[in-house]
Amino acid sequence: MASTLYVARNSPVHRLNPVTKLVAMVCLLVVVFAAPFWWVSGGVVLLVLVPAAILSRCGTQVARVSLTILTPIVVALFIVQGLTFPGGTTSLWHWWVLDLTTEGLMFALGISSRVICLVVASILFVLTTHPGDLLSALTERGMSPKFSYIISSTLQLIPAFRDRADGILLAQQARGLAVGEGLRGRVRAMMPLLGPLVLGMFTDVEERGTAMEARGFGSAARRTSLTSVPDSTGQRVARWLMPVVALAAIVLPIATGAL
Amino acid sequence: MSQSAPSRTTDANRGRHAILVGLGTVIVVATYLYLVLGRPAEVAESSTSQASLIAIAGYVVGAILLAAGSIHRLPTATIAMVPVAIALNIVVGQIVAVLGIPVYLDSIGTVLVSALAGPAAGVVTGILTNVIWGLTLSPIALPYAVVQVVIGVMAGYSARIGVFRRGWLAPVAGLVTGIVAAIISAPISAFVFGGATGGGTGAIVGAFQAMGQSVLGAATLQGLLSDPLDKAITFTVVALILAALPTRFRQRFPFVRQYNVLGTARRSADRNGA
Repeated sequence: MASTLYVARNSPVHRLNPVTKLVAMVCLLVVVFAAPFWWVSGGVVLLVLVPAAILSRCGTQVARVSLTILTPIVVALFIVQGLTFPGGTTSLWHWWVLDLTTEGLMFALGISSRVICLVVASILFVLTTHPGDLLSALTERGMSPKFSYIISSTLQLIPAFRDRADGILLAQQARGLAVGEGLRGRVRAMMPLLGPLVLGMFTDVEERGTAMEARGFGSAARRTSLTSVPDSTGQRVARWLMPVVALAAIVLPIATGAL
Repeated sequence: MSQSAPSRTTDANRGRHAILVGLGTVIVVATYLYLVLGRPAEVAESSTSQASLIAIAGYVVGAILLAAGSIHRLPTATIAMVPVAIALNIVVGQIVAVLGIPVYLDSIGTVLVSALAGPAAGVVTGILTNVIWGLTLSPIALPYAVVQVVIGVMAGYSARIGVFRRGWLAPVAGLVTGIVAAIISAPISAFVFGGATGGGTGAIVGAFQAMGQSVLGAATLQGLLSDPLDKAITFTVVALILAALPTRFRQRFPFVRQYNVLGTARRSADRNGA
């Protein structure tokens, strides 16, 4: 699986069952979105995500990928909502139509804290979970193996697709196709090549389909899995407790009148 | 030689899958109506509302149910095609994102699969595109899975009513699909991401808000500026690809034959020319 972000390390987080991690991520996100106060999200990041990232021994990668994704969003959020938030009443600074309001900044703070949680939790999950393990674990629990096939196949296809495009480009260059400099020039040169690229890949599909059917792909019979994914009683218990916590997070703010 | 659906689907299974699809649709529509009709003022007041949880939860659960109900309708030939379509979505979408053009072009594969194999295939392609995009590139794509599902459904039904038979109808269908996609995705942009999914879109949302729109209104208008154009281009590209595919390959799909997706005019031309 060449194209996922997965980083292989030997850490307690990596060794957890993928379904446990998935349930944990979902419950975490439910908590953060159900109690949408910025200090809840901040607490989750500091008390849960950062320690987990450190424990997983790929903290630097988590930080790097998350920052790359988050920076444009958070910056845009603070600028846009800080300056033009429609519900803003307490103005700190004013110029033409732009109005820096505390409500706008608080709105941006609330939203960005949740988005940070979302992104960091997902990145941590993806970096510590091998996709093959995740798919095996989910298929064992009843997900259709067709989903497993599609996801695994796509993850292998994406680099193959890119290689094929490069190959066509090189072949055309050998025939005298002029390639402009930079990415823009490359893409403009690739436009007339997309046709054969796409058509070539789709006609491969025929052979693929026949091969799959010959191996009993569409059969509804239950399969025995070759890879076994480790699990433990502690994790099984945790997988029941976490949704309870999440449910409490949904109910409590309404019950105590904070929302 | 034609591929047919696995004959072991029992009536009970088919009923269960239909229920999943129905339930998924109801949840998605109900979520949208609740967000737009029930809570538009809340986002204008503050960010502390449960609307964001409902937005994500409703859309994600709905999309999962739709996919779970649709996957079993797909014969093996279609399933063999889905990874190629998803790879097409992601590679083209990624190239376009890097180039910084204000379109997405990340649903060419979804529309193509829907046109060849029906809306159910488009649903599966759509949701898994966003899942894999989330796994490999950026988790921001995950809440938007339901938008690709809607695109797949609309493309499939457009193909059924014969949109791809005439060259000029495809961009029109794309325009309509883009409008629906913009409307459905606006609550996610507004409630989950506060209107800012990147520099360019953020600036446009800010401009609309400065003109007096609510966050949801600004996000909807920003979507309406870019999605219809993007989907019109997508549908046109797909129409071109469909026209260029060999007839032998096209006619292999029961959906294409049953609904006469690509018209019969070509067949006489092929008989004479080939």
